[in-house]
Amino acid sequence: MTLLTILLLAVITFTSRYLFIHPKMPIRLNAKMRELLSFSAPAVLTAIWVPIIFIQEDKLNLSLANPYLVAATAAVLVAGKTQSIYLTLIISLVVFVALRTLL
Amino acid sequence: MKRNLKQKIAIKGLLDMMPLNLAVLPWGILCGSLAIQRDFSVLEALLMPLVVFAGSAQLVATELVANNAPLATILFTTFIISSRHFLYGLALREKLSVLPHRWRLSIGFLLTDELFALSGHRKAFIGHYRLIYALSSGGSFYLSWLLWNIIGIFAGSYLPDLTSLGLDFAIAVTFIALVIPSISTLPIFIAVVVSGIFSVIFKLLGWQLDLVFASLIGMFAGFVSARLLPRKLVNNEQTKVSGEGIK
Repeated sequence: MTLLTILLLAVITFTSRYLFIHPKMPIRLNAKMRELLSFSAPAVLTAIWVPIIFIQEDKLNLSLANPYLVAATAAVLVAGKTQSIYLTLIISLVVFVALRTLL
Repeated sequence: MKRNLKQKIAIKGLLDMMPLNLAVLPWGILCGSLAIQRDFSVLEALLMPLVVFAGSAQLVATELVANNAPLATILFTTFIISSRHFLYGLALREKLSVLPHRWRLSIGFLLTDELFALSGHRKAFIGHYRLIYALSSGGSFYLSWLLWNIIGIFAGSYLPDLTSLGLDFAIAVTFIALVIPSISTLPIFIAVVVSGIFSVIFKLLGWQLDLVFASLIGMFAGFVSARLLPRKLVNNEQTKVSGEGIK
């Protein structure tokens, strides 16, 4: 029974990823839709990372003693200045670890 | 020479995905060990990362199965959590729908948040080399997820809970590093800010569709501002969306 459930779950996750890239799907994206979708990557990725920074244990944490918030601010600054993934990762992770150890 | 280049590109894909491969370790282990704790057989626990291949959907479905929730509830919840992927498919439709079967099916299967995050480059998925890049970055994420799950399945009971270590910060910061450089126009900036604010509000409200709704509102905000703002504030660089990808 669990096995069948798992296979059905697989069908759902695969379909959610594959359906709209299937060529036979009768969808034609017009210019407006394409423009709207051009914002999908920054919008979706932001909707993933922002809650990680601001919400801990189901509560909004705007405190300056929130290591996520301080280190993320550093990450935004470094990413904006250098555009380097690795530099952004290294510097903000150092800030993050330092703050978690100190606070 | 050619082979050399392919190898280099495959390695670049692997390296670009590496921070995310490592950052999801605690959740992979959690998924695997939870499945075993909830009386899944080893085969069933292995099939979860192998064929379902999802993060939060996998975790929630495991709990629901263990609590004997009705099948319809389990499937519907999984559908809701996975529904953001429809957006990725739509956004990448023009590039991916024209690919030969085997590329389309394999990249479709690997199209997680993480692979989508690396797919922002204007030319992503265009040409053989960029497909190799996608396959190696997406494939390495799949194998890592599988490996972390396997560790959880066989050693979960001996390991401490690693999810409180703060590795989720590594996920957040990787996405920051991908998104911030992509903010090349004012409308993109507006889309990012609006999506960020609503994602926090919806998350605090505990909505299952928080991510999808916040993203859609952010996308509309960007779209509308691109039309309403004076031309000189909106230069025409919108195709240059997020991502390191291949330069």
